[in-house]
This record gives sequence, structure tokens and C-alpha cells, in this order.
Amino acid sequence: MAGAGRDERAWVRGAQAGSASDLEALFRQFWPGAYRAAYLVVHDGAAAEDIAQEAFLSAIRALDTFDRRRPFGPWLHRIVVNRAIDWTRARTLRHEVGDEQLAVTPARANAPTDELGEGTMAALASLSPDHRAVVVLRYVLDYSPGEIADLLELPRGTVNSRLRRGLDALQEHVTEEKP
Amino acid sequence: MSDDGIRRALEQVPLPDEVGAAERAWRLVDAAFESREPVRWTRSHRGLVLALAAAALATAVVLVAVLTPPGQAVVDRFRDAVGREPSEPALTRLPAPGRLLVLSSDGPWIVHEDGSKRLLGDYDDASWSPRGLFVVATRGRQLVALDSESGEPRWSLSRAEPVRDPRWSGGGLDTRIAYRAGDTLHVVAGDGSPDEVVADGVASIAPAWKPDSHVLAYADASGRVHVVDVDSRRELWHTGTLKQVRELAFFGNRLVVSTASRVIVSRLGKQIPFLHLPPGHVLLDTLLVPFGGVLYADYDPRTDSTALFSSDCTVAGACALMPDTRRFEGPGRIGNLIMSPDTSWIAAGWPAADQFLFFRRIPHRLGKVDAVSNVTGEFSPGGETGGIFPVITGWAP
Repeated sequence: MAGAGRDERAWVRGAQAGSASDLEALFRQFWPGAYRAAYLVVHDGAAAEDIAQEAFLSAIRALDTFDRRRPFGPWLHRIVVNRAIDWTRARTLRHEVGDEQLAVTPARANAPTDELGEGTMAALASLSPDHRAVVVLRYVLDYSPGEIADLLELPRGTVNSRLRRGLDALQEHVTEEKP
Repeated sequence: MSDDGIRRALEQVPLPDEVGAAERAWRLVDAAFESREPVRWTRSHRGLVLALAAAALATAVVLVAVLTPPGQAVVDRFRDAVGREPSEPALTRLPAPGRLLVLSSDGPWIVHEDGSKRLLGDYDDASWSPRGLFVVATRGRQLVALDSESGEPRWSLSRAEPVRDPRWSGGGLDTRIAYRAGDTLHVVAGDGSPDEVVADGVASIAPAWKPDSHVLAYADASGRVHVVDVDSRRELWHTGTLKQVRELAFFGNRLVVSTASRVIVSRLGKQIPFLHLPPGHVLLDTLLVPFGGVLYADYDPRTDSTALFSSDCTVAGACALMPDTRRFEGPGRIGNLIMSPDTSWIAAGWPAADQFLFFRRIPHRLGKVDAVSNVTGEFSPGGETGGIFPVITGWAP
């Protein structure tokens, strides 16, 4: 699992004791995965940045009460993914009620695109946020299906079926663009 | 496609401004870390400390109940205020660049960043010009434009009815001032002429300008909010009837209407219910925070206390489905939420504590609080005890 290990526990311990360098080490270790995971679920750069930021700020707020024996990564990723799911559901809900004024702020105009990325994003977009979250936890953050079930408090079978569906979608889109 | 192929595909999706996003986030996280107050005691001691604290608190509560008059209970409730910091005895500096315009019973004061302040004169109401170069003030039936540096009047005009709620808008040299004279809404050019009546039968609340424009919103006596282009004298749109409209504010193209218990966002006349307080609660103030949702003051008359909540909603509608978060709480009414020009601090007025509060702003939350005490006396030097608590009417560059 990404980020687990002695270093991680040492950084948490150091940050709890007030070490900014240990906090930065934690941040540098976990930010890239948190931001990528959020972006792949919400498909909006500004929202992904907000979600990952807020997850880290939550971590700072809870630092003193954090149990050092537990790994930091899953705790952070649970916040990121659940917030990303909530954000995406909220956007979907508003689109369903057809209220144009509630449309979400569009992604930044300078959002990068390339063929491979577009295909993958299109494949993810065809999935529900819950499915996307499971795919991201499995293939971006490297959690096992059992760990994902624990993180999202889902039955193992549900995780497996969502993974299967996600894989089908990704294979369909990604292979189509590379005949 | 193999699992590794899926991994590679997901890893190769380019992220928007990946480096910049990381650096922005790190600055915020670092600032939040610096402003936190770590718990120093160990887990094994914590239970004992909490038990002793609880016992001490219980003893104190009994002593207060038995030995003090009822009025003293209010003072003791201040100790329960969530997130309250020790206060400064005087406003010796502002936490962010800019100048505050503070309206006291003596008149409007300009407070500079170093804490120095100057009384502009015996005026009833005042607000900044868009760039902070001037102040528009009212005195009885008179509207006066003042130089913010010298305090000298530039021009004035008089109406037959008492003049209230002046609001200045527009960019460059082509500015406009809206004000109420009785129940009539007037607009005058920034140089004092010409003056025209825009509407009759308006409600007793301040009009609001769309930023850097000549588009104005006002509420009529029936509770309908109108949006007009004052140059063409054309009504652009209006809302339906709303109960107890308290405040109007523009946020980009969207008009935000605050009533006694809810916030409604309108665009081109279409209303979006945005925030609704629990039954019996009163919405004291609302502040839209750029890229940071909404901060609002929720007063509960049953407990006579106000909680400042932040909502993850933005006016664009990007709400996370999260409960609103309580950021601060204290007895009495807390409101008058004003943002610093650089958006890094939020000021609030707390009359029951005779304090101005300055909250450092971090996205999605409020950081440390700087509290300043004795503000009534500070803005009424030589005044009698029991003066009127001052109101911050603006924070200009």
C-alpha cells in the first residue's frame, strides 16, 4: 500500500511534536496521490485542489489526536475520496434537476488535455462517482479490494463488481483510441 | 488491458497546474500548522487533566450560580466561547493592509493599518468609494462626499427627507452614488450631479451595486427586489415577493438576498434557495468568500448565542454535501462580517463582548482569532458609559 511504513509513522510523530519538516515530508509524500485521486473522480481541477487541500487541513486539525499506530495514508485517502464522491454527486444532482444556475463552475480553461488522458477521462466519466472512486483507490493509490471495502465501508463483493465494471469501461475507451 | 496498463493510463492523465496546485496547498497547510496550538500532554495524563478541569468547571458553575447576580452569568458565558482568543485592550493595528471605516455614535472613523484613526465628523452613516479615495456620508437630510485623506467635504446636496444608506460604485471617473431619501431611491454621479430619482416606495435597506457597473439592486416595500440599469433607467429583472429582506449584495452576476432566516441567490430573476436556518433562528449576516464558500452568523434567540458557520457552498452552486461547519460561537449577537481587501482576514462585531474579532482566513475554515476589546469606548472618546457599539462599514485598500 502506498505510503505505509516506518517513515510515515516517524513523520506523523515528528509533526505531532511540532516539526514542520516532518509535516512537509508527509505532505510531499501524499499530496500527489491525493490530488490525482480527487481529480480523477471529480474531473475538475479547481475542485480537486480544494478537496485535497481540505483533506490535508483536516489532517492538521486532527493531528494531535491521530493514533500513530495507524497508517496516515488510508485515513487521508478516505477523506479525499469521500469528499470527491460527494462533490460529484452534488453536481450530478443539480444537472438532473435542470437548474442552469446551479451548474458547477467549469474546470479551468488551462486544464491540460492529450489523447491518452482524454480517453481515460472519458472512460472514467462514463462511470458513477462511486465506481470511479473504487478504480482510483485500486489503480492509483494501490489499495487491495479488501482495503477498499474497509475504507469505503462497502461489502467486498460490491467493491469487486465496481472494479469489474470500471475495468470494462477503461478497456473499452482506452483500447479504442489505440487500434 | 492488464492491470499495469490501467495503472499507466491513470498515471498518465495530466493534472491541471500540478506543480502550482501543490505549492498553493503546501503554503496553506504550512500556515495552518503554524497557527495550530498542539496538545502537549500525553494520552495517559489527558484523562486526569480533563477530570480535574471538569471538576473545576462544575465547582465554578455552582459558585457562579450561588454567589453572583444573574447578570454575571452572561459574563461567565464568554468563557465558553468556542475558539476565542485572549483579546487586545485596544485596536493598535489592523491585521491586514487597508483602512477600516467604522461608524460610531460620534460619527465615522477611518482606522489606518497602524491603528491610528481619525473622526471624519458628525455624520450618521458612511461608506467607501470603490477605490477608497473618498467617503460618502449622510447627516440628517444632507449627503456629503468627503476626501478620505483630509476629511474635507468635496460636495454636498440636501433632500427634503432624511438621507440614508449611501452606496458608491463604478470604475474610473464615471462613478455613481445610490442613496435613500425617505422611501425614495436616488442616484447621483460621483461628482455630485446630476441627481435622479430611480424608484419610489423602496424598503428601508441599503441598495447594492453590481461591482464596477451602473447596475443597481434595491428592494421595494412589498419585498420584491429589482435590478435596474440606472443609466438607461431600465429594469433588467426583479424577484418575487420575499419576506423580511435584510441585505442585498452582488457576487459577479449573481445577486445574493439575505432575509431574516435564509439566503437566496438570484440570477436574471430566477431564484435559488441557498441557505435556510433552523426554525426560530435569525440570520444576522452573510459573507461570500471568494473560492471559499459562505460564512454566516446564525443567532439562536432561545440560547441568546450566535454561531458563525461556514458552508462549502459557493454561489456558483459547487456545494459539497457536507454539513455546515461551526467556526466560532459566543453569547449574544455576532455579525457585521467584513472581508479585508486582500481577502486574508474577516472582521466581525461582537457587541455583547464589546469586541471586534479578526479571523485569519484559510480556505474552508477560519484560522486564528485576534480579538480587540473596549471598542465602544475607543470610538467614543469622552463619551458616556453605555455608548452605542460601533459598526464596521467597510475595509478599503
